[in-house]
Amino acid sequence: MTTTEPTAKPFRNMPPPNLTDPYADARTQPFWDAARQEQLLGPKCAQCGTFRMPPSTFCPVCLSRELAWEPLPGTGTVYTFIVVRHPLNPMAADYVPFMPAAIDADGAPGMRFISNVVDCEPEDVRVGMPVRVVWNHVSNTLTLPFWTPV
Amino acid sequence: MSVKDKAAVVGIGRTKYYKRGQSFPMTQDEMAIKAITLAIEDAGLQKADVDGFALYSAAIDPGKVAAEMGLANLRFAATLTSGGGGAAGSIGLAAAAVASGMCNYAVSLMTLQQLRHRLGGTQVAPPADPEAAAAMAAMMRTPMTAFSQANIASPGHNFAMITNRHMAQYGTKREHFAAQCIAQRANAIRRPTSIFTEPLTMDDYFNARMISEPLCLFDYTPETDGAVALITTTVDRARDLRQPPAVIAGSANGGTGKHYSLLGSFQMPDESFASGGHRDVAKQAYRMAGIGPADVDVALLYDHFSPMVLMQMEDYGLCPVGESGPFVADGNTAWPNGSIPVNTHGGHLSEGYVIGMTHAYEAVEQVRGTAVNQVEGCEYALFTGGPATIPMSATILRKA
Repeated sequence: MTTTEPTAKPFRNMPPPNLTDPYADARTQPFWDAARQEQLLGPKCAQCGTFRMPPSTFCPVCLSRELAWEPLPGTGTVYTFIVVRHPLNPMAADYVPFMPAAIDADGAPGMRFISNVVDCEPEDVRVGMPVRVVWNHVSNTLTLPFWTPV
Repeated sequence: MSVKDKAAVVGIGRTKYYKRGQSFPMTQDEMAIKAITLAIEDAGLQKADVDGFALYSAAIDPGKVAAEMGLANLRFAATLTSGGGGAAGSIGLAAAAVASGMCNYAVSLMTLQQLRHRLGGTQVAPPADPEAAAAMAAMMRTPMTAFSQANIASPGHNFAMITNRHMAQYGTKREHFAAQCIAQRANAIRRPTSIFTEPLTMDDYFNARMISEPLCLFDYTPETDGAVALITTTVDRARDLRQPPAVIAGSANGGTGKHYSLLGSFQMPDESFASGGHRDVAKQAYRMAGIGPADVDVALLYDHFSPMVLMQMEDYGLCPVGESGPFVADGNTAWPNGSIPVNTHGGHLSEGYVIGMTHAYEAVEQVRGTAVNQVEGCEYALFTGGPATIPMSATILRKA
């Protein structure tokens, strides 16, 4: 059990989460249960094996509704990212700059995690750079994955 | 069978373009009706002739506008789904309506007033009423929501993600985006309609504040108000009207499923991630028109964000994929000397943003031969809607 006490902002250059609960259903709950244990899972079609994000109801390849969760090593690469400099709403002034990113996760081809690169400076982020998952324990029910340079 | 050469744009009208909110106290409908009235006059028609609306992006409620204008005989009111991606496609919808006899004279239009409602802030600003804000927040919460907690909160963020991938993949530089912005500004300042009246320099561009890196202030369209209307009818009826018909040679709307996430989940396949998402629409429009990229004399490409102009140039084959940066920097898109002038009206970036319809207006003027920045001998004008959520669209107009 590696779950830690909730901390609002454990990482540098991380915007505060908008949620305190994953609002999971039976299909998505396994992801959040594993997240609390700091284990990254990738959603894939139980029938044809195609990964998809988000884990929507139907597989876009075979239209199966059966979802499986594949344990992933928690490493990946930055596919693309941006540096948000301008606070769109006044509250964001406290946490710019931050770096939203699309992450190609090792072991889950064909889908990308949408998250932030955290705990580094904007100048340190590059497309194609290796990253590893880090976990933000937002509440007793929500642990969110973020990514940081390896 | 297709709508190729069956219909033509015969009337165009527009209001002045205003900086955000400055069209108040006019209403959006009032601006729409002004633009429609001018388009009717331009075509040499009477208001009683108008019997159809072919729309996109919820510009107006056609019933309400028909009531206000006293249109006695409305026979067709339809819209493409989604948003600005449908701009060019609404003219194809109009062509389909008149060619099939569903109506005779179809109006396509956009009217926009960003006084309270700001398009760029659609994903940001919660309603002022706390109860409404709470209801909206609850509605947004699904089991999928927590999978996209990245604070990607505006169209600018979305397109910056695509832009940065293009830069990394192909070596495209901010100087290249600047070159397109500067070329469009040069076009705009020759036009009395433009919001911007001063030239843009490379220094201005690089001194502008960064909004969502790699996009700076000048990569974003300004927020403006205004209305633009076009009237489409059959080529047979068009012959008897006041203006030379702008014949609809080809039109397409749609897109590939994974590009639905152009605004959102970033799951597009690697081979087309760094694109405008228009490659399928481009093929379809060219096929209908029976032409190829080399036949296009002027391209009016939807420019909410400058890098998306470059990516659409690649989608439409105006330059090879990945080479739009150097292509623009070499002056190919500038008017009058470029090999393929792009956004001769200044575009959204420098003339004014009316969700794609200024591009349609310019395309008509170019094939009529009456544009301010006229491309000499213009035969074919291409204009697009989007990149955005599906449908995205393109229409090709031909000189009669």
